[in-house]
Amino acid sequence: MILCVAVSATLPFWASRYWSLLFLMFFLYLALAQAWNLLGGYSGLVSLGQQSFIGLGGYTVAVLSVYYGVPIWFCLPIAGVVAGMFGLVISGPLFRMRGEYFAVASWIVSESLSILFSNWAYVGYGSGMFIKPAYSLSLTQMYYAGLCVAVAAVITVCGVLTSKTGLGLMAACDNETAAGIAGVDVTRCRLYSFLVSALLTGVAAGLLYSYQVFIQPYKAFGIEWTVRIVFIVVIGGIGSIEGPIIGAAILVCLQQYFSDYPSAGLLLMGLTAMLCMLLAPRGIAGLIREKTGLELFPIRYG
Amino acid sequence: MPELFQSVVNGVLLGGLYASIAIGLSIVFGVMRLVNLAHGDLLILAGYAGLLLATCFGISPLAGLVVIVPLLFIAGFGLQKHLFNRTMRQGPEPPLLTALGLSIVIQNTLLVLFTPDARFLSTDLSVQTVRITDSVVVSAVYLLGFLSGLGIIILLHAFLRGTALGIAIRASSDDEQTARLMGIDTYETYAYAAGIAAATAGVAGIVMGMTFTFYPSSGPQYLIIAFGVVVIGGMGSMLGTLTGGILLGLAQLVGGNLLGPGYQLLCGYAVLFAVLIMRPQGIFGGKVHD
Repeated sequence: MILCVAVSATLPFWASRYWSLLFLMFFLYLALAQAWNLLGGYSGLVSLGQQSFIGLGGYTVAVLSVYYGVPIWFCLPIAGVVAGMFGLVISGPLFRMRGEYFAVASWIVSESLSILFSNWAYVGYGSGMFIKPAYSLSLTQMYYAGLCVAVAAVITVCGVLTSKTGLGLMAACDNETAAGIAGVDVTRCRLYSFLVSALLTGVAAGLLYSYQVFIQPYKAFGIEWTVRIVFIVVIGGIGSIEGPIIGAAILVCLQQYFSDYPSAGLLLMGLTAMLCMLLAPRGIAGLIREKTGLELFPIRYG
Repeated sequence: MPELFQSVVNGVLLGGLYASIAIGLSIVFGVMRLVNLAHGDLLILAGYAGLLLATCFGISPLAGLVVIVPLLFIAGFGLQKHLFNRTMRQGPEPPLLTALGLSIVIQNTLLVLFTPDARFLSTDLSVQTVRITDSVVVSAVYLLGFLSGLGIIILLHAFLRGTALGIAIRASSDDEQTARLMGIDTYETYAYAAGIAAATAGVAGIVMGMTFTFYPSSGPQYLIIAFGVVVIGGMGSMLGTLTGGILLGLAQLVGGNLLGPGYQLLCGYAVLFAVLIMRPQGIFGGKVHD
């Protein structure tokens, strides 16, 4: 694992721009997927609303750098904090719901944000904003930032899951009442993982939109983000740390391969995800684990 | 004032259409605790099927219902029996994610087959209006939507009370284990329920296609509307679905009238969220879920 990270740290020096770009996308999707997996794979909170944090993270970077001249690198952690704070606010109503209600409600929150931002003059209504200060960033800088974000995401998720909070979360997934009796404050654990997930997503999104230099409410708060993230985790392996790594790699490859025919690519991903749910519920990581017993990160659930 | 009254009338009529969209989701969620995320896309699928029939065979969309409803019933039945029934045994999350996958598959298949152009099912009714009073005019398709919603609900209500299959469906949703003990094949019943839900989506889809323009990606917005209706009106109640639809339609149109058309959907979402927080079982809902 450390070898991989070390090798990828030297990548920009020997690989072309194309590969740096691919790996940047891989890192960002990996971070987003780990954040979702923390909720959906380990906490039992299937969220269809991660795009709220993605949009907020992106817009924070846009607004701060364009209107206030804050350097992009400072904007990124602030983006995470803003996303986290929104997560705190929205967790009040959201945590009163369970299961399917929680999933769809989280989606409705992001749709509402999309409408709000589309009608807000400050952020340029629906036509969006150009993040001009981000033009000055080089791909190499962003590559290393992406590598840091991805590594930080994996370390954070591992950290949360091996802590008492993480064990409590997994226990609550098994049997909430029993966990409560054993002394686990289920709501606080879930809130903690929700906030961590929001923070990670916000930071990754900030970097993502720094790369894309253009943000629009419809796309930033769109369900397509969740679709891609869910596919990464489902195909890669829900409830395992290696899963999102494998899944993100597959997604980036598929996106490149099908760049001329995006609908066909999405179609294929949808079919694969459905097949996975039927035949390999634990994803590719699960299959590898069953066949070879190989496990890079021995933290898994399910 | 008459402008507001016009919004109110339109809101109520639109609510009938929303109710017909939502009834399928309500059945599937009520019976199987499964939010079929692809429900909106089934609607759009029906719309495109109607389009195909109209352009290739010159059949009017309403006449095409004769073909579309059975086709969608079979589709819903098959999907439930072979896809969802299997994933349901794994826990609550897999069916949700499978439905998401199905939604994406349907959307992108339609995108590839029909291009992303806006489509519309135009018939003679599209431009006709009915005058109610001096200042209030309603479009014929809105009235059609309301009547179809009312009709579906009355039919389903009779079906669920009067027929053996209907009673089996209600039994399976009330208490799965006891229903099995009484000899009901619950998984087969689920397939029938899903088939019926898809069939209602077929009807609602054709009416929707006659009322609004649609794209391959229009599915999710109708899914959210359907979910809103089910939450506001409450599950397990036909009257609740109708009421929920009307309330949501009113919230959207009256809110849009007061705040501006850009906020139309947001007003609906706000009401939905308020109900979710204050009374999650909805207005007529009996069971409190979780």
